Amino acid sequence: MLRLFFRFMTFFSFVIVVGCYNSDQNIESEELKSNLIESYMDESVNKQNSIEERKNSLEKAYSICSTLNNSTFKIEKIQNISFTYYSLKDYENYKRMNEKALKLSTEINDSLNIARSYAYLGIYYRPSKLDIAYENFYEAEKIYASLSGNISRKEIAFDHGKVLVDLAQILRKTKDYGKSESITIKAIESFEEAENDLYIPMCYTNLGNLANSLEHYDEAIEYHLKAIEYAKGTDKEIPQTLTSFNNIGIVYKSQQKYDKAKEYYHKALSYTEFLSKRPRRHARLLDNLAYVNFLSKDEADIPDLFYMALKIRDSINDQNGIATNTLHLAEYYKSIAKDSIARVYAERSRDLSIKIQNNGDLLKVYRLLSDISDSKEGLSYANKYIVLNDSLIKEERLFRDKFARIRFETKEIAKENQQISRENQILIIAILGLTALFLLGYIIFRQQQSNKELLFAQTQQESNEEIYRLLLNQQIKLEEGRQMEQQRMSEELHDGVLGRLFGVRLSLDGINQRANDGFTEARNKYIDELKAIEKEIRLISHDLGAETLPSDVAYIDAVENLIKDLCEVHKIEFEFNNDEDIDWEGIDDQKKVNFFRILQESMQNIFKHAHADHIKINFDYVDSTINLTILDDGIGFKANKVKKGIGLKNITSRVSQMNGEVQFLSNEGSGTKVSVHVPIEAKVEEVY
Amino acid sequence: MIDDHPMIIEGYKNTLLGENQKEYQIKIDIASNCDDAYASIVKSSETVPYDMLFVDIKLPPSSDGSITSGEDLAKHAKELLPKSKIIILTMHREDHRIHNILKNINPAGFLIKSDLTSSELLLAFNNILKGKAYYSATVNDHFRKMMTNKFSLDEKNLKILYHLSRGVKTKNLPNYVSLSLSAIEKRKNQIKEMFSIAKADDQMLLEEARKRGFI
Repeated sequence: MLRLFFRFMTFFSFVIVVGCYNSDQNIESEELKSNLIESYMDESVNKQNSIEERKNSLEKAYSICSTLNNSTFKIEKIQNISFTYYSLKDYENYKRMNEKALKLSTEINDSLNIARSYAYLGIYYRPSKLDIAYENFYEAEKIYASLSGNISRKEIAFDHGKVLVDLAQILRKTKDYGKSESITIKAIESFEEAENDLYIPMCYTNLGNLANSLEHYDEAIEYHLKAIEYAKGTDKEIPQTLTSFNNIGIVYKSQQKYDKAKEYYHKALSYTEFLSKRPRRHARLLDNLAYVNFLSKDEADIPDLFYMALKIRDSINDQNGIATNTLHLAEYYKSIAKDSIARVYAERSRDLSIKIQNNGDLLKVYRLLSDISDSKEGLSYANKYIVLNDSLIKEERLFRDKFARIRFETKEIAKENQQISRENQILIIAILGLTALFLLGYIIFRQQQSNKELLFAQTQQESNEEIYRLLLNQQIKLEEGRQMEQQRMSEELHDGVLGRLFGVRLSLDGINQRANDGFTEARNKYIDELKAIEKEIRLISHDLGAETLPSDVAYIDAVENLIKDLCEVHKIEFEFNNDEDIDWEGIDDQKKVNFFRILQESMQNIFKHAHADHIKINFDYVDSTINLTILDDGIGFKANKVKKGIGLKNITSRVSQMNGEVQFLSNEGSGTKVSVHVPIEAKVEEVY
Repeated sequence: MIDDHPMIIEGYKNTLLGENQKEYQIKIDIASNCDDAYASIVKSSETVPYDMLFVDIKLPPSSDGSITSGEDLAKHAKELLPKSKIIILTMHREDHRIHNILKNINPAGFLIKSDLTSSELLLAFNNILKGKAYYSATVNDHFRKMMTNKFSLDEKNLKILYHLSRGVKTKNLPNYVSLSLSAIEKRKNQIKEMFSIAKADDQMLLEEARKRGFI
């Protein structure tokens, strides 16, 4: 009744889940789903249900689980389902779940669960396929190792330890003792880090077994005792103690210290209450005790002890145990020369060993059979023994090789990944480097180009100025020459020609005064004419000699010529005034050139843009400042609206070169006025 | 008679000898440069001093450079031959030069060659012999101009004005007037103040100077 209600409820909630799915209540639906999964899980672990029902519940739990969004939560649910499958001994589904978990955790990149899934899959393969198991454990171990140092370090360390134990055991089985030992020690360290002793006894047991295999018997016993020590006080104390006693017995047996071995077996067998519930252990202890008795020739209780063990094993169908048990019996009967009975047990052991692939026992059986059979059959057993032995050795080697390869390959892959990532890094760096290099190169190239241009412009300007200077000097020299010549002519006229002319006139006049021939008047007229000529010559001389063109006029001449030439070409009227107070000779050439260029530039602007009919250019000198004013009656421009062109920029830069100021005044339609003010170091003032 | 142009001396001779030889016994020594002239003056001062000296202003200077013009020569002559009548005959008619000569030498006669005719020369000669000074019309003009001004400009100021009027730049004036540029500037300002045109430029200064007859 209750279950019916429950079923109804789950169905109902399922409907709600489906109904809600499309609405935005995902969170609620998730919750419902997880509740549903929980209820199915509860159902599956309920031992009142049949195995089949429990499996069905698990399947249902899984089908709901698979509708969940991918998340760690979902993975953990699937893992839980897998555990239940394991407990139900449904190993195929256990494997299926964990493969699914592995896939999901790989998809969402949940490395912790990837490692766990690998470890669980390793557990699946552990009994049958050592190599695949090893591979899975190895993958898991790798991830755990890389995860160490995480937040949930303890938890990871514990899982890591478990995986390491598994690896160590597999390695021991393939007789790679050294490796197994080191991994076991690592496992112990992990467990200690995890502060969880649960599996430490197992580790010491493994170490003990390893030491035994390596014939380090004292060490082996020590390890086994340590295992008991660690198990003390836990709920595994008794089983661990029994295991360790058994193992210690085996160690002593290997040392042929049979009494000691017997002592430990007896000690173990004294846990009768515990053993009554664990027939397999009980049988093993009995068998081992019997075998030690047999080996120590203490034959009081044998073969009864063997039969006791065999009976228990038969009852629980412990095939491994039976195979060993019958082998022991065969050995016993062989030792008492009852070869026929020995053969019967041996053959039983052989068949069973072949069936369950218990190769260790099979090998011993073959050897025994070859001893007790007649020569021909014995030979064939001997051959079988050799073949099996070889194949076993080969297999072990193959396993070891395989493991080595797994380790190598993962290392290789890691290395390759590293290589690839390094290559990528190198590539990126190279590309970045190249790009940077290219950019740098380009910038340098551009820089050089513009430098060259600048240099070129500079040299051009310099050469321009040089040419101009030469021209100016030429003109000055010419002017000087002309003036000197004029001066000379002036003096010549004044002192020479004029003097002589005066002398002649005076003489003529004197003679004329004395002559009484009636022509005195006529001659006087010519004498007056001579006087007039004298006056004229004197005036000419005066004009020539006057410093009408002082040397520094040359610059202003050049300026005026420039203006005149340009204005003639562009058919514009001009007016030019130069303040005579400006000492052009005393002004350095650089400034003169700058003024010249500014004028040129301004006039070019006027011709190009202003459409002016008339320009007026003034050089004024006020308070040791030269003011150059260039005025036109053109269309003008809006001073603030015009971007400064190269022309204006050049003017500005030239003016600032001379520490001067420049103003561009203009209004649309009312012409433009360019005013340049340049301070001049006034020599006049220095003299004061 | 001191003049570097033989033609001119010829002209003087022709004028004087032609007309006056009946009344006066005229003995003429001629010199064409300062050295010769000075030597003659010195010699005459020791023997028979000259009654009259005809001195040109522009003459080849003496070899030792101590006497550079007729003006210098006249100064020496005044010392050596205090009784001699000095007649300056020159081609120069610039006010400042006239002014200078008048002031430094105060000659008995001052004739400007370009004005001069033979009759004027004779007139001057006769006047001076009688003890009357004779000046050319131009020189008299100068006198008149000087007199009409309430003030007078000294030689240096006149020189400045003269050279300015020729078109010489103020800054070049030190080459013509033996003054520093700053001194010249100061004098220019003084002249402007005298003309009551203190803030005028050079153009206006010259105009005023012309009006007042300093140029």
